Amino acid sequence: MEELDEIVEDGGEDYNEEVLDDFHDEIHVSDLHRVVRANEEIKKVIRISSGVNLVALNAMLIAKRSGERSCGFAVVSSELRVFSRNLQVAMADLGALIFGLVRDAAAIKKQQQRRGHFVAIALMGKPMSSKVVAVLACLEERIQTTEEEIGKDWLHLGIQLGRVLQLCETGRSLSRSAKIEAVYGGDMTITLKHVASRIEETVDEIFNTLKQLRIQLAE
Amino acid sequence: MKKLEFIYENGPHKWAMVARDPSKPDFLIDTNEYLVINGNDALLTDPGGMEIFSAVFSALSTEIDPYTIRQLFASHQDPDIISSLALWLDFNPELKCYLSRLWETFVPHFGGTADTFIPIPDEGMNISLGGLILEAIPAHYLHSSGNFHLYDRKARILFSGDVGAAMLPPDANGLFVEKFDQHITHAREFHRRWMGSNAAKLNWCERVSRLDIDMLCPQHGAIYQGEDVKRFINWFSELNVGCGIRD
Repeated sequence: MEELDEIVEDGGEDYNEEVLDDFHDEIHVSDLHRVVRANEEIKKVIRISSGVNLVALNAMLIAKRSGERSCGFAVVSSELRVFSRNLQVAMADLGALIFGLVRDAAAIKKQQQRRGHFVAIALMGKPMSSKVVAVLACLEERIQTTEEEIGKDWLHLGIQLGRVLQLCETGRSLSRSAKIEAVYGGDMTITLKHVASRIEETVDEIFNTLKQLRIQLAE
Repeated sequence: MKKLEFIYENGPHKWAMVARDPSKPDFLIDTNEYLVINGNDALLTDPGGMEIFSAVFSALSTEIDPYTIRQLFASHQDPDIISSLALWLDFNPELKCYLSRLWETFVPHFGGTADTFIPIPDEGMNISLGGLILEAIPAHYLHSSGNFHLYDRKARILFSGDVGAAMLPPDANGLFVEKFDQHITHAREFHRRWMGSNAAKLNWCERVSRLDIDMLCPQHGAIYQGEDVKRFINWFSELNVGCGIRD
């Protein structure tokens, strides 16, 4: 804002195309790129998490077939299905936050494009510059508000991601329990161990993808 | 929020429609965007206005990686067709935009550089999408003086821009035309007023009736499929257009 005031005060004389380019460079393309990268990771987790539900269902059926000896495994499998449902809800919430970010990133792009046009007028010097100072001030205010919104959006995304990671810790504990319970499966032990390993692999894949996403967001 | 729905899938070759935005303000006309996918390459038809960019972008991002969109196709120059261009180019400056040669110096007012635009000659041209050939079919004066539709011979789909458009009531959410006679009442006035030339209309009907079309996909309203495609072409050929202002 101070820079804009100076442009107007100096009648644009000390400013050149470079200054205008700087304004264009401020455009928040990076937010849109970041959000697209984050969304790709989220979609990956959604795809994997639908697999958890199927693997857990399969585990429940196998546990039922093997009878009383696998009742512990059946309980863990049932809990894994609950985990899978909770994970899907949490991922949908992440998706909603992504929509909000795209909306705000697009809004700031539009606002900054408009500002670029008025800065170009300001650069023409007086008397033109004095006519656009109020418009520029108003646009600056809007841009600042949107920037704050974007900041909040990223913060909320980080918080929600933390919640999903916590949820995944529960999933990992369940997958470890499934491995332990598989040992008591009698003649079905090998099958149950195989299913438990599959569950562990899937939950680990989700966990690692989300961790990667957290690193990405922190960049 | 707009939603992306696949309307054709054949291995890596797909068509998706981005449509119906219940949260869109009433003062904006509702638009359909179509995404043609061939493997890792995608082309977006009539990407829409600046005000709906975030809704379109979000809807696309739920199903595909938006970096795969490398080409835009603008049927004509209207703001509801292509005013989002600057935002798309900010996201990917390498995007190429196909549009009528008539508009190549007009549309840059929405954004883009000399490298952005690939002008389509009046007679049309083939557009390659990762090896899949899409045909830009002339539809001049329907309604714009430089106007093209996009035909996918393999999928038997014709993107028909404003031809076939219908101003549907807010509760009409179906992607496809279900009752033609009822649907066409919402298309009549639009075509009478917006389509400027009976000669151009008959020429288009004659050419398009020779194509194999399973789906005729307009930029507003619902998709015509199966027998409704022929019904629409017949209905359009008999409609007196360019006369909406007279009565």
